[in-house]
Amino acid sequence: MDPRELKRPLPVSRRGVVLFSIAALGIIAAFALELSPQDLAPHAGGVEIAREFFSAALSPAIDYEAEFVPDGAPPFLIRTLGAIRRTLVFAAFAMSLAIVAGLALGFLASSGSGSATIQLIARLIIAAARSVHELLWAVVFLAAFGISPASAVIAIAIPFTGVLAKIFSELLDEAPDDAAYALRAAGTSRLRAFLFGRLPSAIPDMAAYSFYRFECAVRSSAVLGFFGFETIGYYIKASFENLHYHEVWTYLYALIAVVLAFEYWSAALRKRFAV
Amino acid sequence: MSAHSSIESADRTLAIRDLYRTRPRSRLVRASVVLFAFFALYAFLSPDVAWSDLFSARRRSNLSRFVDHDLIPYPLRDSGFSWSALTEWAGNLMRSHGLEAMAATFWISVLAIVIAGLASLLFAPLGAHTLANREPYGSSAKRSGHDAWRALVGTTRVAAVLLRAIPEYVWAFLLLAMLGPTAWPVIIALAIHNTGILTRLGSETIENLEVAPLESLAAVGASRRQLATLVALPLALPRFLLYFFYRFETCIREATVLGMLGVVSLGYWIADARGRQNYDEMVFLVALGAVLILLTDLVSYTVRRWIR
Repeated sequence: MDPRELKRPLPVSRRGVVLFSIAALGIIAAFALELSPQDLAPHAGGVEIAREFFSAALSPAIDYEAEFVPDGAPPFLIRTLGAIRRTLVFAAFAMSLAIVAGLALGFLASSGSGSATIQLIARLIIAAARSVHELLWAVVFLAAFGISPASAVIAIAIPFTGVLAKIFSELLDEAPDDAAYALRAAGTSRLRAFLFGRLPSAIPDMAAYSFYRFECAVRSSAVLGFFGFETIGYYIKASFENLHYHEVWTYLYALIAVVLAFEYWSAALRKRFAV
Repeated sequence: MSAHSSIESADRTLAIRDLYRTRPRSRLVRASVVLFAFFALYAFLSPDVAWSDLFSARRRSNLSRFVDHDLIPYPLRDSGFSWSALTEWAGNLMRSHGLEAMAATFWISVLAIVIAGLASLLFAPLGAHTLANREPYGSSAKRSGHDAWRALVGTTRVAAVLLRAIPEYVWAFLLLAMLGPTAWPVIIALAIHNTGILTRLGSETIENLEVAPLESLAAVGASRRQLATLVALPLALPRFLLYFFYRFETCIREATVLGMLGVVSLGYWIADARGRQNYDEMVFLVALGAVLILLTDLVSYTVRRWIR
């Protein structure tokens, strides 16, 4: 038996304490938010909305639902594909920026950087980048630049840089470092020892993790559409507000298909690596 | 002498080549890198992201107005910098809605993740092939075969996929239209999405459990319910809690943003300040959100270490 178990200071296990606190916090939350169960009952029109929305799931639109379609509008399915394409373009663009910046910051935040001060500064930058949601970055950039696809790309790239840099620095610290030591001992510069001694053995894990983040970037890019950028979320929101639920489902199915394809790919990748 | 050393160096080259050939590698990683490179190249070449637009004169003047004027807290704009004016401004914002919005964001995510956690505790065993079959952890001959159990596992998994593949924002939109603007739509939207995720992770955890204790208890006659509640769930609990806290961290982030749809969390006031074009206040509130996230990340990290 684990000796720690014998002199356990609490009559219940730590897990028990945590489970109990979670349940208690849940109840406190309901009171703190002054929630009432009556508000859970949908109002008269609400049930009708839900019924229409979910019955539309069985018959997604293959053409515009509106009676009046402006001249020159592409066929509906082509427009859906275009929205998906733009969603992927935003995500890929943001990810390629985030990978480059994440590599640099990740190196500076890892023990390879060689200076505790640099490491600390890099970690602070990472924490700041990570702790603001991409949509809030987008709102800030909208105010700073006005609406522009490039601001959506930077908005995604910043928090993703933070997350990638954090994981990269951990992977780099865990990577076997004998080659880097040997290179340093032979007089190689710190940067080269990093590039040729440490980086190569961490690359497969880093690639697997980056691909997983690409999947997340696709979701984020889709969601940015709800706030005015022309990704698929934009069309979902517009069709929803026009009560064109069949169109909403076509967009949703397209989005779900793309997300699931990425998810299965990256799940297969992660199975091979412990990320 | 020179012949000897050239043989030696040839040997070394061969050895290096050998090492190079036998280095660990994976086709899947390579295929992923190629796939991503293709996407990235396409993104750079496509005209969708008008990069140069960001440096046009209009954008630059926008940016300089934003940095030089909008971003500066308004009491400081004319009078120059003073600590007392700054703290008074920040204090007023905190008192009028900052603190309340932070608390609302926190409680919304707590309730959402608790509901999702409870629901997934119920659904996760139903989605695990090892528990949901004719004779869990019994003789393997009886475990397989097409029966109602397979359908149950399949249904649970498809439901979990649908719940999590639809973005929270779509759920929130739908629920706001149905229930009106209380905190419920955001709570339920987050709970639905996270139930999908936690159910999938939970089922996988149960399937990957060490089978020995489960099989030996099944052999002495433990029922399915006993196996699930008394063995599988306690064994899976550490992982469950890990995922629970990981999703709680994302809930805080999403709850902040979902407020922008019209529910009183931080996002509501951020959207409100944006609508009034009070960008100093907006950025202050965004920073408050970051503080909340850093604090909850720290708490969740500490708790996770404490129970490990």
